[in-house]
Amino acid sequence: MSGIGPVEPDGDTRPLDPPPLTPRLRSGPAIRLPGRHRSTTAAAFLAVAVLAAGTLLYLTRPRPAPPPEPRFPSQTTSFRYLYMQVRDANATLPEFEFTIQALTESGAPVTVLSISQPYAGLSLTSGPATPLRVKGDGSRKIVMTVRVTECGKVPRNAGLPFLDVTLRNTRAKEAHSYILGARYARDLSTALEVACGNEFR
Amino acid sequence: MRQRSLIAITAALAAGALTLTACGSRDDNGGGSDSGNGDTTVVIGVDAPLTGDLSALGLGIKNSVDLATKIANKEKHVEGVTFKIEALDDQGQASVGQQNATKLVANKDVLGVVGPLNSSVGESMQKVFDSAKLVEVSPANTNPALTQGVNWAKEKKRPYKSYFRTATTDAIQGPFAAQYVFNEAKKKKVFVIDDKKTYGAGLAATFTEEFKKLGGQVVGTEHINPESKDFSAVATKVKNSGADVVYYGGEYPQAGPLSKQIKEAGAKIPLVGGDGIYSADFIKLSGAAGVGDLATSVGAPVETLPSAKEFVANYKAEGYKEAYEAYGGYSYDSAWAIIEAVKKVVEDNDGKLPDDARAKVVDAMQNVSFDGVTGKVSFDEFGDATNKQLTVYTVKGGDWATVKSGTFTG
Repeated sequence: MSGIGPVEPDGDTRPLDPPPLTPRLRSGPAIRLPGRHRSTTAAAFLAVAVLAAGTLLYLTRPRPAPPPEPRFPSQTTSFRYLYMQVRDANATLPEFEFTIQALTESGAPVTVLSISQPYAGLSLTSGPATPLRVKGDGSRKIVMTVRVTECGKVPRNAGLPFLDVTLRNTRAKEAHSYILGARYARDLSTALEVACGNEFR
Repeated sequence: MRQRSLIAITAALAAGALTLTACGSRDDNGGGSDSGNGDTTVVIGVDAPLTGDLSALGLGIKNSVDLATKIANKEKHVEGVTFKIEALDDQGQASVGQQNATKLVANKDVLGVVGPLNSSVGESMQKVFDSAKLVEVSPANTNPALTQGVNWAKEKKRPYKSYFRTATTDAIQGPFAAQYVFNEAKKKKVFVIDDKKTYGAGLAATFTEEFKKLGGQVVGTEHINPESKDFSAVATKVKNSGADVVYYGGEYPQAGPLSKQIKEAGAKIPLVGGDGIYSADFIKLSGAAGVGDLATSVGAPVETLPSAKEFVANYKAEGYKEAYEAYGGYSYDSAWAIIEAVKKVVEDNDGKLPDDARAKVVDAMQNVSFDGVTGKVSFDEFGDATNKQLTVYTVKGGDWATVKSGTFTG
C-alpha cells in the first residue's frame, strides 16, 4: 500500500492443499511457497511491529518530572542582625555579644559549619557552637561573642561589615558572606568604641 | 491469510503512526512558534548602547529582553497579548538616551522599557518616563541616587515612582569591594582612578569611603578621559605612588588598556573595578596583564543558579550572535517583571488592557514577585531590587573566576 508489508497474493489464502497435478498448479509452488513464506513474514513482522510499538510506548511514556535539585545553601539561608550587648567593658580582653538569626526559606535543612569575621584584632565564637543545624523553613537564634584581641587593628567605623559563613545542605558546601546592614555597622562601631575606650580617641 | 495480512498491515501502520506520534510529541516540546496568537500587541522598549565601545553589554541586554518576550509569547504567558520589542541605541550618551525616552513614550504600544546600561543615561531618562507614567526597569544602573535621591547617604527619598532596577546599587558594591580588598586581599594602599562619569565617580567614592574607614590608605587619585586610550601618565603616577592595588571606577573599554599600561609602567599590582569592567572584553583588552585583576558584579555566580542555566540554554538555542554578558540575566528579569506587571493589569481588567494601562503597570510593578534568572525578583519601597547579592571575580585562565559572594541582608 505504501510499501510497508507484503503484497497481497492473488486468489485464495486458505491453508494449502496438496498440489493438484494441473499444468497451472504445477507452477503452484512458485506461487504457494512464497505465499507460505509471506504469511510467516507477516507474522514475524507483526511480532516485531508490536514489540517496536510497545518499546516505543514504553520509552516515550509520560514520566513524572524528576524532583528539582535543592538550591545552593546561600540561596535558601539568610542571616539577620537582631541586637548587640556589651558584656564586660572593663575586662582585660573586652568582650561583647550580638545576636543574629539564621533563617531558611526552603524545605531543606542547612548546617552552619562555621561563622567568622574578616577583621584583624577580633575573634568570634558562637553559641550554640558550630556546626549547628537550622531546620527547613525554620529559624535559629545565634549569640556571637566578640573578643577584642588588639584594639589597634579593629575597624573603627566599617560601613558594611561582613560575617563569613560556611553552609552545607544536600546540594553543596558553600562559603558565603552576609552583610548585616547599617544598624549592625553602627552598633558594632559603638561596641568597639566602648571596648577599646581611649585607644579610639 | 488475507486476514493475517490485514492484521500485519494494520499493525505496521499502527506502529508507524505511534512512531510518528512519539516523534511529534518531542517536536512539540522542543520547537513551536515564537510568537503568540494574542489580539493585542504590547511593546517593551529597550534602551542600551547597541553600537560603540559598550555595545557588547548593550547587545546582551537587547537579546535577553528579546528572549523574554519570545518565551512569554511561546508560553502565552499573558492571554490575549503578544509582546514585541523596540530597541533603541543610546550610544552610552545621556542626550541620546533622553531622545530615545521621548521616542518610546510616543509609541502608545510601549508599556514598559528595559534599560539603560549607564547610570548617567538613566538619570537623563527618568523624568521623561515618569511624566508619561511609563515604567522603566534598569538591569544595570547602580548609582544609588537614581532610586534613593541625591542625598541618599543622609536621607533616602525616592525621586521617581516609575523607575525600578534589578541591579544592586553602588552603595553596597563599593563597600563590598573595599571590604574584600582590605580584609582578604590584604591590600592597604590604594590608588583610586575614575572616569568622571556618574557611575564611575560614584562607585569610586563609595569604595574609597569604606576603604578609609577600614584603615586603608589612599595614596593617590586621578581622573581619566574616557575618550582616550593612552593612560601612560596615570600609569607612571600609580607606579611612583607605592600603591599595592588600583581601584578603577569606570567601564571595560578604558579599564582594559589602563590595567595593561599600569603593568607596563612597572606596577605589578591588581586593578579592581565594579560591574562595568566585568566583561569578556576586559580580558581581551588587558591581555596577559589582566590576570589577577578583580571585579565585583551584581548577583550570584551564574553556575550556582539553576534558573540561570535554563536562561543560558534558551539564549544559546535562539542563536544570538552576541554573548549575554554581565547583565543578560538581569535584563531578562527586568523584561519578565514588565511582563508580569502587564499580566496583572490584564487579569484585573477582565482580560483586556485598560485605557490607563501605563499607570496601572507602574502600580503593578511595585508588587511584582517571581523566581527569576537571578533569584527572587521583587522591589523595595525605592524601586531597588530586594535581592542584593554581589560576587567578586578574578581574571584566571582567560576567564572570570568566582572568588567570593556576599548577600546584603540589612
